[in-house]
Amino acid sequence: MTVIVRNHVVTAGAGLKPMIFAHGFGCDQNMWRFVAPAFEADHLTVLFDHVGAGKSDLSAYDAGKYSTLEGYADDLVEIGRALGVGGGVFVGHSVSAMIGVLASLKAPEMFESLVLVGPSPRYIDAEGYHGGFTAQQIEELLASLADNHMGWSAAMAPAIMGNADRPELGEELTNSFCRTDPAIARQFARTTFTADNRADLAKVTARTLILQCSDDIIASEAVGAYVRDNIPGSEMKILQATGHCPNLSAPAEVIAAIRDFI
Amino acid sequence: MPGPAAEDLEDLYENAPCGYLSLGRDGRIVKSNQTLSRWLGIAPDALVGKRLRDLLSTAGQIFYETHFAPLLRMQGYFDEVALDLIRADGTPLHVLANAAERRDSEGELLFTRVTVFRATERRRYERELVDATETAQAETRLSKGLLLAEHEAAELREQFIAVLGHDLRNPLAAIDGGTNLLMREPQSEKSQRVIGLIRGSVLRMSGLIDNVMDFARGRLGGGLQLNRSLKPLLPTLAQVVGELRTSYPEREIELHLDAAAEVEADHARLAQMFSNLLANAITHGAADQPVRVDAVLRAGELELSVANAGPPIPPEAMAQLFQPFYRSNPNSRVQGLGLGLYIASQIAQAHGGRIDVTSDATETRFTFRMPQA
Repeated sequence: MTVIVRNHVVTAGAGLKPMIFAHGFGCDQNMWRFVAPAFEADHLTVLFDHVGAGKSDLSAYDAGKYSTLEGYADDLVEIGRALGVGGGVFVGHSVSAMIGVLASLKAPEMFESLVLVGPSPRYIDAEGYHGGFTAQQIEELLASLADNHMGWSAAMAPAIMGNADRPELGEELTNSFCRTDPAIARQFARTTFTADNRADLAKVTARTLILQCSDDIIASEAVGAYVRDNIPGSEMKILQATGHCPNLSAPAEVIAAIRDFI
Repeated sequence: MPGPAAEDLEDLYENAPCGYLSLGRDGRIVKSNQTLSRWLGIAPDALVGKRLRDLLSTAGQIFYETHFAPLLRMQGYFDEVALDLIRADGTPLHVLANAAERRDSEGELLFTRVTVFRATERRRYERELVDATETAQAETRLSKGLLLAEHEAAELREQFIAVLGHDLRNPLAAIDGGTNLLMREPQSEKSQRVIGLIRGSVLRMSGLIDNVMDFARGRLGGGLQLNRSLKPLLPTLAQVVGELRTSYPEREIELHLDAAAEVEADHARLAQMFSNLLANAITHGAADQPVRVDAVLRAGELELSVANAGPPIPPEAMAQLFQPFYRSNPNSRVQGLGLGLYIASQIAQAHGGRIDVTSDATETRFTFRMPQA
């Protein structure tokens, strides 16, 4: 099986500097549907689903491989190599910001620039580091995933009703977006929220832009500043957008910030 | 407080049987109803300015921000989302929430409406379903694991038996050869008796090893291989009787059969089966009564029976007799492994026949029947 099928890789546009967009924990590549099209005129855009998410091949899910972000980074490198990406731009949201950091260390030639949206190298507080969550809170999250997946699947498989306000969202999308096998969701949550990639930040050689939302409880401004201070030469831009998903809530602002940077 | 005389919209909003929340474009609460305030124990004024996620636990907030918030933004609504709101007293309020965004003609978000339904019972029921599923899965995993372990243990045991059988045969053959050699030379009377006892023991042990080997082979998938031939029955049976008479000189064995009868069978196997039945009768039968063997060939059937006197087989033991490793008295050291009758019945089956038992106060009789052309 090719990585293209495994990760449901979708490309569009054309241009000298390819851009790979990576989604975070919780959803799939549709996370970028308001942002990626803006770059199709000048770039080859590459969207994909992490294995276990969206329309990826669930049979390729290997609990061992994906118990660390390295496993996801290896997939990202494979996708980049399969498409012959070199000197490209990586745009990663949430946990994928760190997956992109790891991939850029594995294959430094692949990305000349990294755009990290709401990055966090470690979610759990540590000595001298404020990640935003205690270990206990993360354990509660993992427990509540186990606890709530009934409610979760009830939320994800409602009778599909027409959406007059947003006709561009077909039934197919309504069905798949954010829908994850509960067992895989739990694993991915554990991998994401127990990771510690602080030591990797200093090794980054690509130009790096951090897009930091205001009022983001998942990755606070202090965490964004930590990433900026530890990735050599990186810059951080604070967005007006609030919450953890500016790519959905304020796509225009995100597009403008990325365009300025690249 | 007197209720409204007719339906009025203000009252419908405030006291509807569900909670209402409206969020401004910044996601903060601008309006909520009395029902929700009652459920939460938080006054409507105190809710204004909060975000929906402020009403959730930290874990709930992460889940909301990574799943439901994007879902709402992507679809413009979400339905049947399970949330745990935190009441003023810190206890969770289990709810199902629906939400819908309202946008202007430019697509700009105006506000978001959220409807909240209590779902405590439903959540408990779902929780129980999940628990039941997990329990069932755990049990399945456990029994699969046990099955595997049992299978491995059984395989190991049978390999062990097979190896042991081979290793026992060699020294036994040496003892047999040695006594043979001694018997060709003049011996004192006492020595002759001792040599006779040794040969009897060798014979018995050899029978036990044969049984163990057959058992191991049968279980290891080789099964019983037959080498049939048409031969007189008498020499086959007489040899077995002779061997057992040597081992149990004090016991009386009567053999009744038509000397001319010929039987098509694997005679070595037939001898083994007969030896097992006869040894069984000698071991369990009354010591002062003869063991009687009858062999009749008639109407296309061989009927060979071994009968002994003595106490009857208890009814509850009947069903177990032909099971491997079955012993009427597990503490007894003279009964061997409990394979004799099992092997005998396997040999009978291999010949297309069967062994039946009758047992009463007068006699216990094992009867082997097999078809003959």
